Amino acid sequence: MGVRSASYSNGMSEKDTTKSTSLVTSLMKSWRISSTSSSPASSSSESLHNSNQHHHSKSALASDSPFYPSPIHNPNTDSRHSIDSNIESNSRRGSTRKYSSSSQDGNFDAMAKQTASMRKSSKGASSYSPLRYISPSMTNLESPRSSFFRQHHTRNTHHNQYYHNTLGNNTNNTSDPTIGVSLPTGSSENVSAENITSNGGHHNNKYFQDLDEDWSAVIDDYNAPIPILLNGGKGEQNNSLSRTSTNSSVTNLKSSLQYPQLPLIETRSREEIENEKELQKLNSMMQRITKFDSILNNKHIINLKELRQISWNGIPKPHRPVVWKLLIGYLPANKNRQETFLKRKRQEYAEGLKHTFSDQHKRDIPTWHQIEIDIPRTNPHIQLYQFKTVHESLQRILYLWAIRHPASGYVQGINDLVTPFYQTFLTEYLPQSQIDDVENRDPATYLTETQLKDVEADTFWCLTKLLEQITDNYIHGQPGILKQVKILSQLVKRIDIDLYEHFQIEHVEFIQFAFRWMNCLLMREFQMSAVIRMWDTYLAETSIDTSSSVSTSLTNDLTAPQTPTLRTASTFSTPPGNTVASPHTPSSNRYNSVTTLTSLNKEETDTTKVKQSSLNEFHVFVCAAFLIKWSDQLCEMDFQEIITFLQNPPTKDWDETDIEMLLSGAYIWQSLYKDATSHWL
Amino acid sequence: MNNPVTSIKLVLLGEAAVGKSSIVLRFVSNDFAENKEPTIGAAFLTQRVNIDDHTVKFEIWDTAGQERFASLAPMYYRNAQAALVVYDVTKPQSFIKARHWVKELHEQASKDIVIALIGNKVDILDDDPNERKVAKEEAEKLAQEENLLFFETSAKTALNINEVFLKIGENIPLKNANDGNGDGINVTDNQRVNLAASADATANASACSC
Repeated sequence: MGVRSASYSNGMSEKDTTKSTSLVTSLMKSWRISSTSSSPASSSSESLHNSNQHHHSKSALASDSPFYPSPIHNPNTDSRHSIDSNIESNSRRGSTRKYSSSSQDGNFDAMAKQTASMRKSSKGASSYSPLRYISPSMTNLESPRSSFFRQHHTRNTHHNQYYHNTLGNNTNNTSDPTIGVSLPTGSSENVSAENITSNGGHHNNKYFQDLDEDWSAVIDDYNAPIPILLNGGKGEQNNSLSRTSTNSSVTNLKSSLQYPQLPLIETRSREEIENEKELQKLNSMMQRITKFDSILNNKHIINLKELRQISWNGIPKPHRPVVWKLLIGYLPANKNRQETFLKRKRQEYAEGLKHTFSDQHKRDIPTWHQIEIDIPRTNPHIQLYQFKTVHESLQRILYLWAIRHPASGYVQGINDLVTPFYQTFLTEYLPQSQIDDVENRDPATYLTETQLKDVEADTFWCLTKLLEQITDNYIHGQPGILKQVKILSQLVKRIDIDLYEHFQIEHVEFIQFAFRWMNCLLMREFQMSAVIRMWDTYLAETSIDTSSSVSTSLTNDLTAPQTPTLRTASTFSTPPGNTVASPHTPSSNRYNSVTTLTSLNKEETDTTKVKQSSLNEFHVFVCAAFLIKWSDQLCEMDFQEIITFLQNPPTKDWDETDIEMLLSGAYIWQSLYKDATSHWL
Repeated sequence: MNNPVTSIKLVLLGEAAVGKSSIVLRFVSNDFAENKEPTIGAAFLTQRVNIDDHTVKFEIWDTAGQERFASLAPMYYRNAQAALVVYDVTKPQSFIKARHWVKELHEQASKDIVIALIGNKVDILDDDPNERKVAKEEAEKLAQEENLLFFETSAKTALNINEVFLKIGENIPLKNANDGNGDGINVTDNQRVNLAASADATANASACSC
């Protein structure tokens, strides 16, 4: 049983690995790094752990083991077992969960590939995770990639409820959507074990026998129509979706049973794989939407911490406008305040405009003209930005921002940065089926005057919030950008010395290509849809430090509830024996997986880090991942080819998956180098 | 096709939105786009032309025009052999800015840099001559005083664009790849580029004879 489920997760990873080709090269580089860093975990100890875990699971099941303390609320053996093993397997939770769960999610295939390949390196991947929010600290939080587990658990709960007649007792376990999904953290073994038991129970109808060995029962049961409890039993939608996906996972299961170590790609046709991926994608999408709903529909205070974590991996289109406003610290998390707050801010913007365009105010002609010139040149390939309504809105937003921020003023590039907000906030007023049309439709045709003004005001405030975090990029001399370019070059020097030296030989300077990357946050490099997906992560990233950032005192008021929670989480998250200094700031807790690397200077860097914008910092790592992605090609090019290539990278057809790969790559570099960068300046 | 190749490093300077990128786009791709995104930092492009029995390869840094980016400019004109200082004939402010750039180049750039003063967007004057805000005589006078080449151009209609570059090519002493400073790296570099882009060079030769 344990062997079976273990091989299941291995098999999946293996399969994904064989499919990944381009990634291998970039991972080669990451191995180079990981072999120089001191990582305590090794794959052998991990596998040892695996087998131990298995034995525990089994004995727990068979004997209703007295070794495990009973949770307070739960008389149910199966549930208790699940919780117990969760606690027990705490130390390696991150890795196991990550491997198996991510492979269920088409959208996150890329990440699964990465982790799978990383696992193959002799250094255990458990010391750091490319999946940001599946670090060991996230005991109680859902990962969007755990859809597989989620299903099994909810199903499992269902069975338990039905056959053991313990309805209502499970709320502390799996039926709560928030906690329930976190439980799979334990291990794949556990989950499968439970399934088998409960499924067996189903087959033999109300006789509570131990039917571990009843394999056919399992498979039959998988194929039988089973009601799926989603959202912790609160709703029964997506029934068919979940079912089909369950069936497909059986296929995976079967095929991986035979020779787990061999690539299994030939055993299934391409269409089958494609189909499965599609289903998994759809399924995970529905799951995510449900999850976002449940966070956002909180009656009182929206859990921003949770929202950020889930948003890092992408926000469903219908939720995006409101989630962005929350993440950037514009919209208050307190739902009771939201309406009055929005009203006040929109009013404030309207008054600002009124004052600015009144006779009392002397127009800043050069600024006005510069913006006027740039507006028609903003996203010239997108229809939306050719409409007069949009031109006028953006002109007002940019001009008002510029004269209110004289130290910076209007700088080209800011006209790019305003557009994702504007475009996204417009979608709030479009029916879900037409969201993708936003780039082609004149807002004046579907928005009232008031709605247009609201979108404009919201865009203004969110742009203000964003630029607040990267002010140094646009003030005189643009020190923020110069600093980032320097960090980028230092990063590349450490990550990819071959590329760095090749650039030196060819006299390529980083500023020659990276200036624009920093000035426009890579917006010129990708299609708008990809940029918007990237911003899901960036905004989730931005706001984390907003609460501790000195420059944004206003947001403290808005995001206050999350700070204490984050602190609490950080105490749990510290892996035993891994840290010398305990994390003091919210920001540090996300990176404790690499504390071995940097624990010695942790205390001092933490204090300096707080003042840095995490958006800028993360962006540098994204740029590094982006550059290194092309390393092999670049090393074959001369100066002219390099510059031309980097000015015009072949990214025009990049979709969300490509962006997600890039972001997860950046995450890895960040977890390795975050605390080091300040020493390079 | 074994013409000796001379590289000319050229930089474009001028106020925002006077048409620097459009001039380069016309010269390099013989193309025009009405609303080009503002250049951020600088853009690098190359083009080869045949002048007599020489091939001249222009290595062009097209800089961003906005004032905030001006501090980057020295990096690009420092080693340049030629500079195009561009203004918009309909925008007097841009001509003032052009004067500043000329002054800065004389002070900061290499002594023998060839500077061309370019009044762009003359196609607008075809529709409405009253749009002209910078007199041709004024610009000619500046060019004479400061020893500049001078052209009025239109990237939109391609007027005088190739001529500017050909004239610059003529004004820079053409080195034979085999003499010059005998820089070994340069020779291999040129050969490599030459092999890769020989077809390109043929096409340009005809394009530039107009």
